[in-house]
Amino acid sequence: MCKLKVAVIGSSGAGLPILNSIFRYMPKLRGAIILIQHMPAYINQSVRDNLAAHTRLTVKLAEQDEPLKPGFLYVAPSELHLKVVANERIHLFGGEKVNYVCPSIDVAMMSLTRDPAVRVMGILLSGIGDDGVEGISHIKRMGGNTIALEKKATTIGGMADEAVATGHVDSVLSPTQIREALIKHLGEDTGKPNAADRSPK
Amino acid sequence: MKDMVMVVDDDPMVQMTVRRILESAKLKVTTADSGAACIQEVEKGFEGLILMDIMMPGMDGWDTIQTLVDKGLVKGNIICMMTGKESPDDRMKMLKEYILDYIRKPFDQQQFIKLVKEYLSFL
Repeated sequence: MCKLKVAVIGSSGAGLPILNSIFRYMPKLRGAIILIQHMPAYINQSVRDNLAAHTRLTVKLAEQDEPLKPGFLYVAPSELHLKVVANERIHLFGGEKVNYVCPSIDVAMMSLTRDPAVRVMGILLSGIGDDGVEGISHIKRMGGNTIALEKKATTIGGMADEAVATGHVDSVLSPTQIREALIKHLGEDTGKPNAADRSPK
Repeated sequence: MKDMVMVVDDDPMVQMTVRRILESAKLKVTTADSGAACIQEVEKGFEGLILMDIMMPGMDGWDTIQTLVDKGLVKGNIICMMTGKESPDDRMKMLKEYILDYIRKPFDQQQFIKLVKEYLSFL
């Protein structure tokens, strides 16, 4: 039985408008989403507010030790790395920058562990550099589903391009297609029980 | 939502053109013709969206942003590069958390206005 579906989205430069496109009209989902966006701390709350205005997901800044819950979009706060402990709980911690940033997408994605009861998706949007590339490979090796943003959707394709070059990206998609993939992978929460949740991957 | 935009570019034609486009969308625009002038404006209290050229004599765009960061002047501002350069160079990697977009010139005016307003909505 699938006990949790989780998607980790990594985003950097030019990512905020893309996120707005992805989450516009996003329904409530049966899984949890973690967003790692490289951004200054003083816009964390307004990014949360912007996303919350677009979607029926419950959008919040991730907090220490909180459990991952279906239907939630957790926005990683700036200046702390985020790990998922035992595939179920958020752990925030300080430390050196990784790939020049904190939080690092790689740190978040690579904290997920293989578990047949947990379905994982990794998505890399836009930005320079390679933060998230190892994370995507890790998710792929674990048997998760991996997506990169298509080149023409951004002026800064570095991270997504690097991930695609590893051969570990399942699909290269537009923002609209990424929204559809999230709905398909995590499942829409219509308020009714879903028989598919009881079948293993 | 703040409505102040600073155009940092040593080319007066770019300053004028971008000012015209943004003022047509009822945004308030100030200009700076150098990195040093940008820093002065921020020190005087500018808060809003900073559209930063890269190639400028003296302090280039990257150095200007690094100076703003080092002086603790970034808070309250969103910074986007605005440049004719095809792709960002590696210097952007170290400033990733402060630079939210890379807008290439020339651009579609309506999409540019939409993008600028979208970034202002985060302030």
